[in-house]
Amino acid sequence: MLQDFIASLRNSGVRVSMSETLDAAATVKTVGYDDRQILKDSLSASLAKSHREKRIFDDCFDRFFSAESIRGFSSISPMDRSAVPDVSPLTAMILSGDRSGLSVSMSRAARRVDISAISFFTQKSMYIQRILQEMGLEELKQDIHRMSEQEGSWSKQSLEALQAGRERLFEEIRDFVEKQYRLFASSVPEQIMESYLRRVRLSNLEQRDFERMRRIIQKMVQRLNDRYARRRKRANRGALDLKATLRRNLAYQGLIFDPCWKGKKLDRPEFLVLCDVSRSVQAFSRFMLLFLYSLHEELARIRSFIFCTNLVEVSHVFEECEAEEALAKLKRGVGLELTLGRTDYGQSFQDFKEEAMDRVTNKTTVIILGDARNNYGEPRTDILKRVHELSKRLLWLNPEPPVYWGTGDSEMKRYSPYCFLVQQCSTVTHLERVVDFLLRTPG
Amino acid sequence: MKKVISEKFESIGRIQKGFEGTGYICSQQIATTLYLAFHLDKPVLVEGPAGAGKTELAKASAAYLGLPLIRLQCYEGLDESKALYEWKYGKQLLYTQILKDRLNEILQGSDSLAASVSKLRQHDDIFFSPDFLEPRPLLKALQQEQGAVLLVDEVDKSDPEFEAFLLEVLSDYQVSVPEVGTIAATSKPFVFLTSNNTREMSEPLKRRCLHLYIPFPEPKIEREILRTRVPDLSEALRSHLVAFINQVRKLDLKKLPSVSETIDWARVLVLLHAPDLKPDLVSETLNVFLKFEEDIEIIRERVFEFTQNAVKVP
Repeated sequence: MLQDFIASLRNSGVRVSMSETLDAAATVKTVGYDDRQILKDSLSASLAKSHREKRIFDDCFDRFFSAESIRGFSSISPMDRSAVPDVSPLTAMILSGDRSGLSVSMSRAARRVDISAISFFTQKSMYIQRILQEMGLEELKQDIHRMSEQEGSWSKQSLEALQAGRERLFEEIRDFVEKQYRLFASSVPEQIMESYLRRVRLSNLEQRDFERMRRIIQKMVQRLNDRYARRRKRANRGALDLKATLRRNLAYQGLIFDPCWKGKKLDRPEFLVLCDVSRSVQAFSRFMLLFLYSLHEELARIRSFIFCTNLVEVSHVFEECEAEEALAKLKRGVGLELTLGRTDYGQSFQDFKEEAMDRVTNKTTVIILGDARNNYGEPRTDILKRVHELSKRLLWLNPEPPVYWGTGDSEMKRYSPYCFLVQQCSTVTHLERVVDFLLRTPG
Repeated sequence: MKKVISEKFESIGRIQKGFEGTGYICSQQIATTLYLAFHLDKPVLVEGPAGAGKTELAKASAAYLGLPLIRLQCYEGLDESKALYEWKYGKQLLYTQILKDRLNEILQGSDSLAASVSKLRQHDDIFFSPDFLEPRPLLKALQQEQGAVLLVDEVDKSDPEFEAFLLEVLSDYQVSVPEVGTIAATSKPFVFLTSNNTREMSEPLKRRCLHLYIPFPEPKIEREILRTRVPDLSEALRSHLVAFINQVRKLDLKKLPSVSETIDWARVLVLLHAPDLKPDLVSETLNVFLKFEEDIEIIRERVFEFTQNAVKVP
């Protein structure tokens, strides 16, 4: 019972560990099943560990613990058990209107056929049949058959009652399976959808997936922010700070009693992001801009630029507008001095140098998103080299797979020596890898 | 003592009653979680909006159980020497100075350095014994004979590293001091951790705790709280005030008024001898429960409407 409930919680996206399962079992032992509200509160305390999970939990609990009750068998007149000798238990239960017995039998059958594994709506009828079989449908059919043959010893009334009962039972089970389906399968399509979106190339994504995509990206960015947003101090044990130690121990006659270690302060990171919005990367840039937008929502110190023939700063657009609006504006370059002609990395780098080179310090991470297709123009690697020297890190995310780098007008091969990391980035999984990389290398 | 405490945790209803006696009105959910925390020996991680009574819960528990409350306020850069234990360097130094002669005596007769060291080694742990250990809140809580209520306040403000050594304290109720060994709890303390959700707590920490989310209380409970905290407030005014605050909480403000601010406001109204809620009076006292100029501006425009609605509540 508890196992099933935890399975349904996990399906809905609450992470429940083994030790929490044990806690839940101990909880149930302590409080018992008597009071529904107390049971709910206490399971909630031991299983759902954040506000979001609490909400999912409440929903799941209500669905799960209301699922298993059978109503509507009262119409059958209670029969004297002795009047119906040697019938199957199911028949007896239907005839005597034993609702709780039927309930128990149904949930047992459901557990035997492993209903918690249901994941597609096409499986519903199969599960209904299986549960019926498990409950003893065959015997019930035989009983009905026998009754209709030897009509004498059986009243017509009870035969009708039995047939009505069978119909009723079928409906009950259908309802039950329906509820179970909603309980156990509700999140499966969500998971499948999400994993599909993670794998598909960003340029192939449809408009309607946009919202979903945004959520995935937001999750990722939040993770990044959790690590970064706060200024952290970390004691770097092992490196003695001699000056500070001597100062601190003056009070002890210069005896070194209280050593002082060199601390390492982690600074808030600064990001400068350059995003190519030219036609060659059009489909891709939409999601890159979305990524940028989410970064802007989460990180405090970030400046964004977009470029095509020239380069402009767009941080203010991200800050002022809603996601959809901002992206629409940026794509058409509304209100910006952006020329959407031939892509010119050389000119764009030149603009960047004039506008923001003085902001590049040893705390800055510079990220360039683009395919490095420069239309055979001057690549201006000298500027990139300068950025490389000044910044802490220079990352280049390229939507093209590595085999295309350096072919045709792609200057990737020439740019890559100056980059700390060059990464193909055409799916969310790639993007995630980049975020992981940023997380792994602190500072 | 243990028996008295377990009597106090006999049933959920009794906990609720007992807390009422200390002036803390707790919902059934809170009482249930406390009941479990006692019976399963688990720490409680309390989350919720600021001012909903998280810290107050720990204080009330201490009062209810008659145990000392040991509080550890977390902040960035909090480390084990401030949270767990530290050596009493001064005392160590002083003792070595005082005992200089004795040390000389002991060392007399040993002609080589190696011999001196080996002689000293027979006594070496003296200066690193529990006598020289300065217990900080976590260790102190474990050492209380009768048990204690340990409050780790705003644990989300601490560094992730700090969380890691909290884990040992939380799951096994023990502290490892390399020079001395493992110090286990004399009697297990009740542990409350509070978090304001500035960052997500780590999975292992969550796994070891029961989780309690304290939202802003329902109007009914908030009225109860006001009744116990500000007994001079008339009943009508109390329900009007709660109704008003609840309307304010539905808006999108920079900082929503908390329970403690409701109490403050109630006290102010009592001081001013206000017979009932009037728009002018409300406008003048808005700054008691709203702490940002923008929020005050938003509410000021709607004071009349809100007061009307609030006064309608029976």
